[in-house]
Amino acid sequence: MAYSEKVIDHYKNPRNVGQMDKASTEVGTGLVGAPECGDVMRLQIKVNPATRVIEDAKFKTFGCGSAIASSSLATEWVKGKTVDEALEIKNTDIVKELSLPPVKIHCSVLAEDAIRAAIGDWKKKNVAVEHSMATAGAAN
Amino acid sequence: MPAHDMTSFAEPPTKIVCWSCGRENPASAQFCDGCGKLQPSVPVDYFQFFGLPRRFRLDRAALEKSFYALSRKLHPDLYARAGAQEQQWSLEKSSLLNDAWRTLRDPLARTEYLLELEGVRLEEQSRNATDEAAASGTAKQQIVPPDLLEEVFELNMQLEEMRTAHASGQNDPAMAAGLQAARRHFESQLEEAMEQLQALWAEWDNAADAHNIVEQKAVQQKIVDLLNRRSYIRNLVRDVQQALAS
Repeated sequence: MAYSEKVIDHYKNPRNVGQMDKASTEVGTGLVGAPECGDVMRLQIKVNPATRVIEDAKFKTFGCGSAIASSSLATEWVKGKTVDEALEIKNTDIVKELSLPPVKIHCSVLAEDAIRAAIGDWKKKNVAVEHSMATAGAAN
Repeated sequence: MPAHDMTSFAEPPTKIVCWSCGRENPASAQFCDGCGKLQPSVPVDYFQFFGLPRRFRLDRAALEKSFYALSRKLHPDLYARAGAQEQQWSLEKSSLLNDAWRTLRDPLARTEYLLELEGVRLEEQSRNATDEAAASGTAKQQIVPPDLLEEVFELNMQLEEMRTAHASGQNDPAMAAGLQAARRHFESQLEEAMEQLQALWAEWDNAADAHNIVEQKAVQQKIVDLLNRRSYIRNLVRDVQQALAS
């Protein structure tokens, strides 16, 4: 099966590979796995507490080319978005962008899971922030 | 195999009337008990096809024997001069026979197949959990326990480090020894997983014999967890073997 050019590009030149300080309250870490293929993916986001904008994102994925490309793309997409905007990213958007074949759709699912898990982790660390934002939102 | 075992789960039509002599046969019969004529293809699962109860454990030697016996008796060449219908049935049954044999003889394929018959689709669990998370706006319930993911991630990191050093031409004997040790470690984990699987097979089969559905479901979940864990270990074995071969 041939990979699309975009997958190959992300695979050969993955964006934002690396790691951030897991203990930092500004950092959310998502570690997810796809049992079907045994892949494992770690995606981290660094969130500005005042604006809730994701200022940086890093990933490290052990898996096939599509899994690496999906997570590489996910880090590119979340950067500059608020956490709420980032939650809108759907695996189907990744499938479309990378032209993933049906057998590789689970790789995009994994990337969506990773975003969600990283944001979930960040929110857990920032319950107080979350609460004040929710109140502010309700007042508007 | 006693007939009552076979019908303890799904209840497909139990009897079928022979098209040739009118005798009643069990629905899964390949041949009429009376006239010996080939019977129509009916939708049966692989266990039913071989007249086996739906259990994880089976007698591999007995299965192989029935496979060879049936392949001879069902072979389309034998029906070259029979009616068009019988020719068709022999083709269909031969093809089903091969699929059933290939699936049931392999312990993992058989396990996944039986789980599927019980309504568990390994391929879909992750997808379903994602959909649920998206719908409720929460982080996804991971199929694999977090500590296992951590462990797998760490092992992958180490493996990558070893591989990079290996590939950059550093023929460090300690590195090679490290890879060898890692391979032995993961391979023994794979064997352990297989032993655990066999123990769970026995638990499930016993529960099935006792018609204890609650227990069956509980053991089923343990089997799914174990298979998920095993996929990760299998990948690590594959990766370390590749690293050693390069």
